[in-house]
Amino acid sequence: MSMAGSPDAVPAIRPGETLGSIGGRVEAIPLAHPSGRRWWIAFAGALALLGLFAFTLGYLLYEGVGIWNNNNAVVWALDIASYDWWIGVACGSLLVSGVLLLLGAEWRGAVNRIAETVALLATAAAGLYPIIHLGRPWFFFWNLPYPNTYNLWPQFRSPLLWDAIDIVSFLVLAVSLWYIGLLPDIAALRDRAHADATRQIEAVAPTRRIALFKAQAYGILASGWRGSAAHWQIWGQAYRIVALLGVLLVVSVQTGASVMLAGSVMPGWHGTLMPVSFLIHAVLSGVGVTAALVVMVRVVYGLDALVTDRHLDALARLILCLGCASAYCYAAETFDTFLAGDAAGRGVLVRRMTGEHAPAFWTAVVGLVLPPQLLWSARARRSPLVIAAVGVLVAIGAYADHVMILVVTLTQDFLPSSRLPYGEDIWGIATFAGSLGLFLCLVLLFVRYFPALSITQTRQLVAGDARGAAPGAPEVGALRHDAPLWGVAAAFLNEAELTAALQSLASLRGRIRLDGYGPVPMPRTIRALGLEGRSILPYALGGAVVGGAAFYGMCIYATAYDYVFLIGGRPRFSWPSFVVPSVSFAMLCGCLAVHGALLVLNRLPRLNHPAFHIPGFERATQDRYFLAAEVDDGAEAARIERRLAGLPAGGGRPLSVTRVPR
Amino acid sequence: MDNGTADDRPPGLATAQLFTPGADAIYRLVLMTLVACLVALPVLGAGIVRSNYVTGVGVAPSQPLPFSHKHHSGELGIDCRYCHTGVEKEASAGIPPTHTCMTCHSQIWTGSDMLKPVRDSYAQDKPLVWNRLNKLPGYVYFNHSVHVTKGVGCSSCHGDVTSMQMTYRANAFEMQFCLDCHRAPEKNLRTPAEVWNMEWKPPADQASLGPKLAERYHVRGGERLTECGICHR
Repeated sequence: MSMAGSPDAVPAIRPGETLGSIGGRVEAIPLAHPSGRRWWIAFAGALALLGLFAFTLGYLLYEGVGIWNNNNAVVWALDIASYDWWIGVACGSLLVSGVLLLLGAEWRGAVNRIAETVALLATAAAGLYPIIHLGRPWFFFWNLPYPNTYNLWPQFRSPLLWDAIDIVSFLVLAVSLWYIGLLPDIAALRDRAHADATRQIEAVAPTRRIALFKAQAYGILASGWRGSAAHWQIWGQAYRIVALLGVLLVVSVQTGASVMLAGSVMPGWHGTLMPVSFLIHAVLSGVGVTAALVVMVRVVYGLDALVTDRHLDALARLILCLGCASAYCYAAETFDTFLAGDAAGRGVLVRRMTGEHAPAFWTAVVGLVLPPQLLWSARARRSPLVIAAVGVLVAIGAYADHVMILVVTLTQDFLPSSRLPYGEDIWGIATFAGSLGLFLCLVLLFVRYFPALSITQTRQLVAGDARGAAPGAPEVGALRHDAPLWGVAAAFLNEAELTAALQSLASLRGRIRLDGYGPVPMPRTIRALGLEGRSILPYALGGAVVGGAAFYGMCIYATAYDYVFLIGGRPRFSWPSFVVPSVSFAMLCGCLAVHGALLVLNRLPRLNHPAFHIPGFERATQDRYFLAAEVDDGAEAARIERRLAGLPAGGGRPLSVTRVPR
Repeated sequence: MDNGTADDRPPGLATAQLFTPGADAIYRLVLMTLVACLVALPVLGAGIVRSNYVTGVGVAPSQPLPFSHKHHSGELGIDCRYCHTGVEKEASAGIPPTHTCMTCHSQIWTGSDMLKPVRDSYAQDKPLVWNRLNKLPGYVYFNHSVHVTKGVGCSSCHGDVTSMQMTYRANAFEMQFCLDCHRAPEKNLRTPAEVWNMEWKPPADQASLGPKLAERYHVRGGERLTECGICHR
């Protein structure tokens, strides 16, 4: 996403930052946890809300969904508005993160980790709503196709089933995008935590066991990530493919949510612009929440060096663009309804503006449409406070928008007898506040234990800066005589030197396994290793096509042959309604195939690996590059050692050369 | 030149190896177990709800006295309707009152210890409390008479009762059991004479006979019989 004009002049990272300093700044948050007191205060508040959630759910299970004051025509009250809002926030932030990744926006490192986290955690909050709003939540699985003793299939023509498949797929996609992006960063955390633990063990510190446990926990999460060039290659592909699948799923989920409304006969839910406005408001609220969190993390943890004015400016421009699109949607809907709409549609619009629930409409206008317009000012775009405030306001506006769309239409049913009053009630609000508590608790735990910014992607901004060669002749380390040999390893200051050294060993390729390791993706090393042709796209495509086709086939089999059931006059072969859940399921299967390819092609998980015996290898996730040649023959190893040690400066001179035991 | 600074890089470790070689095996085992559980638990659950342990199929509960359908109906040849009098006319087939037992047992086996509960029941005018085998949920409407008068035999649901020493549940009356037949009734329709035949097997010409019987009984299959309101009224 190229930003025209001034922002390109502003660097996306403060000058002078290095691979090591970026890692140090970000890893310090989970490992040393500065601002602990403020964190605890915030966490206590979030926990209180979570407690409220537990209490509300307890009362809900005891009393039933009627506590939401929806025993009237407004059967979809705050529960569905909250669900739509949460999934909108999740979709929006996932879409932004995915699009930035696919477009290769270089500044994304400071934003997309938080966006992916918001996507994941908002999905967790959203995912609870469809379950708890069931009369009997413990039968939620009745909505899924499973081998049951009723000889029944779920109704594949129903948007309710689409929703169930959508949310399951979306959750898997959100977890995957988050975890795949996080994987190398967790490895970096593992190595720093390991160094910390080693220091504590040497000093016999009382917390040494906890330190080691922490390192091992990160180690298990990192699944043995070694930063090998081949790992990075597959990882980069996996990350982008999952982002693409996620972007496609977002469009399907959001337009599906609007089609669910359009499938009814209620006025005000049939505008042709509605799928677009759902998507725009989803993305706007997602960006709003993400921007507010980015600003918060920057302020609380003093990350001005990594989250620069450039990032604030980019986020602000994004909010401004989406705010304009939102204003357009509002204007177009009003204009179109008054000009060409039917009487019922006009009635709904008038009731939105002047009726009993008019505050929802005006909150939406004041939250969604007006605040983004502030960001025309360049000064406002550089002010963290303004951006955070606008972010929060658009999120509130998006919530009001959902309430307005649902409640205003539903309050006026077609039967005079169903015109019972509905008012936003205390339990509906408590449930939403509780789900907010769940979200905030998880966000705080995330900030506490995981890197809040993408170390890898921020490092890519400075990876080319590391130039020059080792200052002197390399140290050549010896191996204990009794240990069996795994190979010869060499350490380098930058990728250029590593690539040069690999090229000098090119004649060994095929006979001996060569690999390069480093803290960022290494495209040049991939070329030097001759691995550039590898692609996992066929796996992802295969998984998606097979999964989607299988689901589509199941829909046809169930609906047209096995469970023929006349409902609402729909045809036996209702092919268009099967497309939505099949697409969602295809994305899910493509994502699972990517995971499989990521693990199998990278030979992961592998917690223990001889490469970790390379002296100083913990810096392969920080600021060093390594070469490993796997030889078990002593004479061959000696030849390789001599060849590496003799390389000239600028032509692959290593910092050190060592033999590595198995 | 990227050398880092002293405070932002980890000090040298003896080795970056955090795990022993054995950890790999454990980790992979745990991962595979989790994946296996993900697959196995639903399969296990589906298996358990279908098992006789849950459905009670084939399990004869204890009764106030060991009444044998095999002896009375199979060996002595007493007709089903002698005891279950409502089966052709009413929704419920009916459990016989003690008086029905006493029509014979006031004459034969009058001193039997085994039959003491029957005589006590008769003398005290208190019904025998049998343990019910086949229960349908309250939201299921079922009518015996319409089934037996339209060619659905006893044994189609209750199994070969005449071979049961102690009576047990022959089929789990789950929705799929009812629907299997309601979706294709012609597979199980019999001629009126065969309805009471406990050893009935579909004859060789059932494929051609079934649809004819369905027509004669005015049984509308598939669409009509699988409407929700047929059973859930």
